[in-house]
Amino acid sequence: MSMIGLGLAILGVGLGLGMIGNGALQGMSRQPEAIGKLQVQMLIALAFVELMGFLTIFATSGFVGK
Amino acid sequence: MTDLSQLSGMPIANAPVSFLGWAFYFTIVLLVIGFFLQKALKGYNGRVFTSGPARLAEQLYLFLENMAVGAIGSHGRKYLPMLATFWMVIFVSNVVALFFPASPTTIFGFNFGLALCSIGYVQYEGIKANGLIGHVSHFAGPKLGLALLPITIMIFVIEVFSEIMKNISLSIRIFANMSGGHAAVESMNKLGEPAFLPIGEFLLPLKVLTCLVQALIFTLLTCVYLGLVTSHDHGDEAHAH
Repeated sequence: MSMIGLGLAILGVGLGLGMIGNGALQGMSRQPEAIGKLQVQMLIALAFVELMGFLTIFATSGFVGK
Repeated sequence: MTDLSQLSGMPIANAPVSFLGWAFYFTIVLLVIGFFLQKALKGYNGRVFTSGPARLAEQLYLFLENMAVGAIGSHGRKYLPMLATFWMVIFVSNVVALFFPASPTTIFGFNFGLALCSIGYVQYEGIKANGLIGHVSHFAGPKLGLALLPITIMIFVIEVFSEIMKNISLSIRIFANMSGGHAAVESMNKLGEPAFLPIGEFLLPLKVLTCLVQALIFTLLTCVYLGLVTSHDHGDEAHAH
């Protein structure tokens, strides 16, 4: 059961990462001069969404619960 | 509860590294950094940067300076020594993880120590910039009236808690990325075992990218936290967590 939950959580994280990439790429193609700023913001957002996935992995693997 | 180690065949939560092993891997990291910096320093003697390491160090400096000035502001340059140290220690540790079964950044304690250093440094700089009272009152959010005191107290508690959680989030991010890379390689190797194909090794380019990005993200987040506590002229932005 926890594996299904983990899969669902990672699905959400994947969707989130894809949306961030989509938004950043669209912004970059519309305004190439803002690429530097957009990349930094994109990486920060990616890091926070990614962390959600890691926290789920640790919660399901018993890192927290044991 | 499914243990991740059953999936990957490798204990993740408790990395199989003794204290001596940890010291061995960290010595490698220190030696590589020391050797590189010594070579880079030698290249600075001439009027132009003659050696490769010197040029590489120059590029690294410019890259970090760009990032610090972009994220913190014009006073970001004075934090460069700390930021460069974080970047190099994390990057070299991550690269060590590509060649060895373990490295300092695949051990949770090491990452937690790094995160404590980073957040401790941020608090120190915040206190230095705003004074102890100013820094603590920064946690309470915008100034509200006396009638809204419960909300101010609530914001204060949440902010302090999120400050503590920054340690956890910084450390888990590197640890999970580096250990996760190892676990993914192990699992994919297991898939290719019947055909004697080391499929997992094709993940190497991705792991190299992860090494770079993790070092960058840790330094960048330290920059962002520093920018939040030391900004003077953007008072409103400072509270926009």
